[in-house]
Amino acid sequence: MFDRDAWLEVAHNVLAHPLRTTLTGISVALGVFILVVMQGLGYGLQNGVEGQFADDAVNSIWVKGGRTQMAYRGQLPNRPIKLTNADVTGLSTQADTVPASSRRIRLWGAEVVWENPNGKNRGGGFGVRGVDPAHIDLERSILLSGRYINDRDVIESRKVAVVGPNIVRDLFRDVDPLGEFIRINAVVFQVVGTFEDPGSRWENRVAYIPFSTAQQLYRTDGGIDQVLYSTGDMATEATVAQSNRMRTWLKDVKAVHPDDSRGVDVDNNNEEYAMYASIFDGIRLFIWGIGLMTLLAGAVGVANILAIGVKERTKEIGVRKALGANNGSIVGLVVMESTVLMLVSGSLGLMLAVGLLTTVAPMADHEYFQNPQVDHSIALFALLVLVLVGLASGLGPALRAVAIRPVEALRDE
Amino acid sequence: MIDLLGITKTYTTGAQSMQVLKGVDLVVETGELVAIMGSSGSGKSTLLNILGLLDGYDEGMYRLGGKNMAKLTERRAAELRREMLGFVFQSFNLIGFKSAAENVALPLYYQKVPRKDRLRRSHELLERVGLLEWADHLPSQMSGGQKQRVAIARALAAQPRVILADEPTGALDSATSKEVMALLKELNGDAMTMVVVTHEAEIAAECQRTIRLRDGLVESAADV
Repeated sequence: MFDRDAWLEVAHNVLAHPLRTTLTGISVALGVFILVVMQGLGYGLQNGVEGQFADDAVNSIWVKGGRTQMAYRGQLPNRPIKLTNADVTGLSTQADTVPASSRRIRLWGAEVVWENPNGKNRGGGFGVRGVDPAHIDLERSILLSGRYINDRDVIESRKVAVVGPNIVRDLFRDVDPLGEFIRINAVVFQVVGTFEDPGSRWENRVAYIPFSTAQQLYRTDGGIDQVLYSTGDMATEATVAQSNRMRTWLKDVKAVHPDDSRGVDVDNNNEEYAMYASIFDGIRLFIWGIGLMTLLAGAVGVANILAIGVKERTKEIGVRKALGANNGSIVGLVVMESTVLMLVSGSLGLMLAVGLLTTVAPMADHEYFQNPQVDHSIALFALLVLVLVGLASGLGPALRAVAIRPVEALRDE
Repeated sequence: MIDLLGITKTYTTGAQSMQVLKGVDLVVETGELVAIMGSSGSGKSTLLNILGLLDGYDEGMYRLGGKNMAKLTERRAAELRREMLGFVFQSFNLIGFKSAAENVALPLYYQKVPRKDRLRRSHELLERVGLLEWADHLPSQMSGGQKQRVAIARALAAQPRVILADEPTGALDSATSKEVMALLKELNGDAMTMVVVTHEAEIAAECQRTIRLRDGLVESAADV
């Protein structure tokens, strides 16, 4: 059945009915096109949402002090809450396990100047953060060269810095920054590493220095701006329980009213991520639903066109039988035709969809929509569905057609 | 060549059943040109279906070329149609999107003859029916008589032993009818058995013998 003559016969029949072929082809191509494009857009949405979380570790709890809104235990409202080293130690006791954590001092605008030994100094306004070694994982930074802040840096309060790509670009340009000296608000630090943070534009404009150094220089009262705790591989429910415990404990220690939502700020990324994940599951289900319905609509249309096609060919089928064709060869011919038609036009729709997504992808750079892409398994699935529909929709009418007695079919004029 | 004995055929449509053939006895010798006549409803097309192995029969015996045709599988029937039988129809039944040469070559396709040989043979046959220069034309570009000659060439392609013609001149004017009958008679000279179903006495008169069907039975097998 799969010899050259059979294929020639198929090609001949398909090309001999240009209108029918075109109509069938368009509905198939459209079905695949819409399914694949919808999926691509869905991926864009997913990438966008996940990009929002790429900034920081998903499995983390972020704690910082706020400002009270309610009077409590004899204290007036509007009182700033400051974290201290003792609070951090206490918060850690509320965790299920001994978590990786990092304290943080934040300096929003500092003057950072490169002490250029061979020419003009270059400087600019950048952010500075005092951090602990575990900060690299909690902030999801990627070390590009040199090393990150380590334990000895923190113990000895060294004056070293790990700088982001914007600082490297603006200050050092083509010079290797490792070993060079920079002045941060009049204090000189040595650059020991460079990093980047794909999830955050802001973080790329920051220099990290050891936490202890930052506290000594900028928080002489012993204050801590923020503490980040990793939750490791704990289940979301357990992390929620833990962040609730931490919040309650901290409110009690800091004399914040239990109902005061602004006094302390304990953010659980796990919880937020789980919420987004469930929203996204809904979106994905929605896209699948629409895509499958579209494909189904296309398939029904194709089946319809094929059924009409076979019906109008009843006479031709009768002639072929009279000339010695057996039923198998006729069914084979019709099914091959419909399958070839489906595959060719389905591939066409697929190529169009891939082309569109590839063209549009670089232009799509919205916060919540990034990098739409084609899922190859979905594309293959769509093609497979079409081939099966092609087989099924060709088979039914073909079987009915060969069941008609040829001479009756031939005598219909 | 053809031997029928007590052939019956009943069609059942829903609750109704109708016996179309009520015991047909018929003998056609090799090389004969026989006409089957009968009014509409006499069962002549049913008989042609059975002769052409396009339909089965209920009772009786059918021998084609000395072989019993009882209980053929669909595949075997198709094989025998390919090897033994050629068909000519009233409305020509050429395939509209195929050229004359391709239409003639179609039976050879089903005999798995290589493409080159198929087309060479179809050109030979078109030459024989006087239509060689029309080989690449589509049926829609030809007259009725030309189409029927292409159909006859197609019936001959597989070198059958028997040609079954169902009202071969029914759609043609009288002058063209004569040409077509002349062609059939000429081919009959090649020791080819022919059965022509017709309701026209003039056409039947061109044949060697006429068999009349009436209400599912053979009325007379008078020599002409």
